[in-house]
Amino acid sequence: MSQALVRIHGLVKIFGDGQTRVEAVRGLDLELQRGEIVLVMGPSGSGKTTLLSMLGGLLRVSEGAIWIDGTNIAALGERELPPFRARTFGFIFQDFNLVAALSARENVEVALNIAGGRGPSARERACTLLESMGLGDRLDFPVDKLSGGEKQRVAIARAIANGPALVLADEPTANLDSHHGAETMRLLRELAKEEGATVVIVSHDERLGEVADRVLWLEDGQLKALQALSRDPVCGMLIDPAEAPASIEQDGAPLYFCSRGCRDEFLAR
Amino acid sequence: MTARMSVPLARRQLLFRKGRTLAGIAGISAALLLVLALNAIFAGINDRLTAYIDGSGADVIVAQRGVDTMHMTQSALPEQTATAVVAVPGVAGAKPILYVPAMIERGEKRGIVYLIGDDSGGAPLPLSAGRRPDAGEIVLERSLAERLGATPGSSVRVFGQSFRVSGEVEGLASILNSVAFVRRQELARVLGIGGVVSYVLVRARPEVRAAELAARIETSVPGVTASTREAFARSERRVVGDMTTDIVRAMILVGFVIGVAVAGLVAYSATLSQLRDYAVLRALGLRARRAHALATAQVGATVVAGFLLALAFVWVLAAILPSLSPTLVLAIRTGDVAQALSVAAAVTLAAAAFPVLRVARIDPASVFRR
Repeated sequence: MSQALVRIHGLVKIFGDGQTRVEAVRGLDLELQRGEIVLVMGPSGSGKTTLLSMLGGLLRVSEGAIWIDGTNIAALGERELPPFRARTFGFIFQDFNLVAALSARENVEVALNIAGGRGPSARERACTLLESMGLGDRLDFPVDKLSGGEKQRVAIARAIANGPALVLADEPTANLDSHHGAETMRLLRELAKEEGATVVIVSHDERLGEVADRVLWLEDGQLKALQALSRDPVCGMLIDPAEAPASIEQDGAPLYFCSRGCRDEFLAR
Repeated sequence: MTARMSVPLARRQLLFRKGRTLAGIAGISAALLLVLALNAIFAGINDRLTAYIDGSGADVIVAQRGVDTMHMTQSALPEQTATAVVAVPGVAGAKPILYVPAMIERGEKRGIVYLIGDDSGGAPLPLSAGRRPDAGEIVLERSLAERLGATPGSSVRVFGQSFRVSGEVEGLASILNSVAFVRRQELARVLGIGGVVSYVLVRARPEVRAAELAARIETSVPGVTASTREAFARSERRVVGDMTTDIVRAMILVGFVIGVAVAGLVAYSATLSQLRDYAVLRALGLRARRAHALATAQVGATVVAGFLLALAFVWVLAAILPSLSPTLVLAIRTGDVAQALSVAAAVTLAAAAFPVLRVARIDPASVFRR
């Protein structure tokens, strides 16, 4: 057994059947180490959210296995999954997804409640977490009165409230300005490096690459290491050289294009 | 994970959208008010229906064989029955009365009464004004007297004869009917019947139980049915009960349907607006059963609040209405409150089905959709 927290093997997700059949994730293999931050990028519709949903036990896999700390969540029943999710995962969403009827503190406390934490100890833990994120004076604020950055910090506090082994973040900086985006990145890094949580971030925001240990590219339901990809000099798209539809050699170096159209446009310049 | 959560989620969600919650409570309250108020009105009628019997001072009421009620009933006994009853051991006194439905008129105004021919003029029931009737005089129930605009000294017409109002009694009228007293011999004369009485009101000696005396009278006096006052009052109430049961049932059904419709609609629309919250909570690990309980708790709290509001409103009505309309008396009984509560519980269960079914279809993975 390796030190990996997450081992994904032969993961497939198929939606629909017949003519509407879509293979969103195709035979994906991946290992994530404890305390590692992995950024998954890729074009829209590439399967990033599907991967995140399966990884978080929110979406059933069609084939394959997802081992998290020795438990294959693909084999867990509907009664076992919710408590496993509560104990093991922390979720961070682009839209924060805070419960509007609750205060900042209660949003964190409710996550503790769901995982079995109750009463004064849960309340104290929620307060401590929010105070550590600089929200000590916002504990009883209704969440719709908070700024975007404050909401995201509440969401992060909620995500880590139960000490999750795996934090799944979906576009965590998308609705934030650069200052709050940088603050969120710092918190995610702190989470991985100080708390030892593995963090999987799905995003289009390349700035997140600064805090990531690995950047993966997901396209057509398959993962590729970003370093192995080449950028189309015309449209800027990242392309796997092995699958590039067109290429040329210039000054002894290969150039790869996403299509013949881009190659012809390049040659016409 | 069955223990209570320390964050009062259901309460917070209800209070977050106060307007909708209050509208839901008001709607459910109106529906339950139908059930509570109607029951209270009929209970009030029942109380007034037997007020004369309860206050008559009789321990046993003797009627024609097979008759054990006054309301909407005819009873005819030979006048000598009273004498025969007095001879039964254990009888302290026997008072024959005539009892007939009548229309009392004063100018253009009129009212239906049960006219009681009683030589004691309604004693021992207290008079609220005036005195007992002599020949050519009548005692009216105060609410009817007010409606007719009659006061002691005024004249009214009954069976085409003029009577002078000598006094008033109080607390004997309901929205269905009223009561008036004249002297028995005079009523017999007006009706043109002699030697006949309707009922004999019997007082028992202190050492004799009423039920025992009633049995003795039935054995000793031929052609009569003797009932204790309590049994007679019970039969009277059953008459009205039989007439109103279907109405009450219909209103309960209407109340239930309106309650389910209002509570269901409120709960469903509240759930629709909270779908994202439910999806997030499910993603965080909230069990489906817990999510259903959360939805049901919101419906239950709304219905309970609606029930309490309806109960408070009926209480206020019961306090205020008699001063506005003396014949409209609302009586709130534990059994009727329990019945309304069971309707409320049924409303909760039925209405909770809407949000529970919707919550059951929530896909926790939808939290990642934008």
